[in-house]
Amino acid sequence: MKKKNVSLSGIMQSKITWAVVAELLILLVCFLIRPDFFSIKYQPATGMLYGSLIDILNRSAEITIISMGMTLVIALGGTDLSVGSLVALSGALALKFLRWDVLIYNTPGDYTVKPFILVILVPLAVCTLMGLFNGFMISRIGMQPIIATLILMVCGRGIAQIVTNGKQFTTLYSPFRVIGQGSFLFLPMPVIISIIVVAAVSIFVRKTAFGTMVESVGINPSASRLSGIDSRRIIMIVFALTAFLSAIAGLITASRVMSNDSNNFGINFEMDAILAVVIGGTNMAGGKFSLAGTVIGSIIIRTIVTFVYYFGIVSEATMAFKALIIIVVIVLQSEPVRKRMSKMGKKRMKGGAVHA
Amino acid sequence: MPERIPERRQSLASRLLKPQFVMVYATVGIFILIYIYGAIRFGSIGFTTLRTFVNMFKDNAYYGISAVGMTMVLITGGIDLSVASVACLTGMIVAYGTSVLGYHPAVCMLAALVVGVGLGLLQGAAIYYLDVPPFITTLAGNFLARGVCSLISRESISVSHPMIDALAGWKWYFKKYVDGEWVKIKPIAFINVNLLVFLLMIVIGTFILHRTKFGRNIYAIGGNEQSAKLMGLPVGRTKILVYGFNGFCSVLAGLAYLLEVKSGWNLALNGGELEAISCAVIGGTLLTGGVGYMIGTLFGVLLKSVIPALITFNGTLLSWWGKIATGGLLALFIVIQRIVVTMSERKKDSKKKQPQGEAG
Repeated sequence: MKKKNVSLSGIMQSKITWAVVAELLILLVCFLIRPDFFSIKYQPATGMLYGSLIDILNRSAEITIISMGMTLVIALGGTDLSVGSLVALSGALALKFLRWDVLIYNTPGDYTVKPFILVILVPLAVCTLMGLFNGFMISRIGMQPIIATLILMVCGRGIAQIVTNGKQFTTLYSPFRVIGQGSFLFLPMPVIISIIVVAAVSIFVRKTAFGTMVESVGINPSASRLSGIDSRRIIMIVFALTAFLSAIAGLITASRVMSNDSNNFGINFEMDAILAVVIGGTNMAGGKFSLAGTVIGSIIIRTIVTFVYYFGIVSEATMAFKALIIIVVIVLQSEPVRKRMSKMGKKRMKGGAVHA
Repeated sequence: MPERIPERRQSLASRLLKPQFVMVYATVGIFILIYIYGAIRFGSIGFTTLRTFVNMFKDNAYYGISAVGMTMVLITGGIDLSVASVACLTGMIVAYGTSVLGYHPAVCMLAALVVGVGLGLLQGAAIYYLDVPPFITTLAGNFLARGVCSLISRESISVSHPMIDALAGWKWYFKKYVDGEWVKIKPIAFINVNLLVFLLMIVIGTFILHRTKFGRNIYAIGGNEQSAKLMGLPVGRTKILVYGFNGFCSVLAGLAYLLEVKSGWNLALNGGELEAISCAVIGGTLLTGGVGYMIGTLFGVLLKSVIPALITFNGTLLSWWGKIATGGLLALFIVIQRIVVTMSERKKDSKKKQPQGEAG
């Protein structure tokens, strides 16, 4: 009986539970207002399922992918502000290689695509290098993560604009369209990609010692160094991974609109990704993290946005909703409130014991 | 402690060469170097004129005003991401209140002031009492203010009211005395309200930081919050007031921006918080807290405006190089900061170790 009690309180205290409950509550509200919110239709023409729920998964893909890396960054006790800029850079690089002709001749037309593998590999490689730069600044030079990544946040969009010479390219190249608009197993491609990324990162983190090492460095860097963990290398890997994932998100974003827009791609992505991680129950101070919680956090954010669109509320008002969520989360996560709550829980348990 | 007394009577040179000042010197030095480069390269087409110089202050005046409050927040070891949204909200409140609701701008400005300072105080209270990281708290403030802006209106609202026009149109021309009368110098250079407010805020900020108890508390908290608490300093009150003051600066920045564009727009100044932070950081404010000077922030703002000026004078470069240059400058200054901090820590360590060695 004792065991049962412990597991119940464990479920009650687990932050993922709260995130799931929040998500279900929002969906319930949606359902009550519009019962057709949950309808999913199959469209044979594109071979894809359509519906609000699918759309939520589809549109949350970029944030889900980025926030996988962001979870690890925050578990280390840091923050990566450069992801939004890297999304823009990745899109700009992809379009640059897709529209090579624009840069050589000024007449658009029967354009030449560089080998398609370059279109994919170059953005991934360049962004990973940028991530290594972030990691280098933090682990070797000893900067605070916020500041080190602020550098790339400020000049990343600049670099993206220089890459395409300040121009906006469009493309019709169909293999590229598959990344953002294609489908596989009735699901939109971004959903598939995000599932693959989540699975890969989870396996890498949980089936090897890497996740434990990240938590250890996040909780106490010097203690983990003394116990033989190379914290510098871990920081490098985590920031490179985040940048790599941002590049994937950038390819998806670019493929959705088949164009590049260095001013608007990935705007506020860093904030959304951090928000997803925090809603998912990972503490900003570093330490233990939850990838599953982050995925739910990302879905919650998108559910709210969809809710706002679906019910015709001003789209920019999503910001206010996001603020309300953060306020609730920070109040629940804050030390004094949690102490008081755990005290109340203990009291209740004591009282129960007396009555029994 | 008796051994400390000789340290107080340091020579002027050693006082000036304190490691905290090195960053400020670096900022000033690099600004002068870039200015001299500009003067040599583009002097013939008017880079050295008074007009160009005054414009450097004027162009980024609103970021400068916001950077004054930001510097204080950063000195306490915090950060405030809500400044740009609060400035935008100020613009929206004044524009909506004046043009749509028909109130007098002064009333709207007062309302905006209450909202901005109130939000700042609230954030400070949340940071102190709930012990939430400033980053997350002010991120919520950022989203909230931006969301409210969009709820007020999604389209830009133009403002036309005699009072706003008068404030925006007020100019004080630089003149010279020629043949018994004052003549405007050519090319025309003038000071406007924004520039005056910016310089005034820098002076007020310097005064608060160095001549008041409040200012000393700010430095003490940034140096070590735990010891400040143990010393009995009012940590909570100081922190909350700092965020309140930053809210005040954001409102002023918003008004300055309003005077510049004469309209309120819900997406105005997007990303401006990072501009304000980078002005302060380039000016030598340590993000770990405890170190920072208003004069450094002033030169940080100047340094950030001299680069776009150079790009404009060059004429062929994409304006995006400005962003890259700013990023490069940030990197440079943070590396300088790291070196200075490590050096001063080493000095402290060797000082600590020496007496112990003698005693042993």
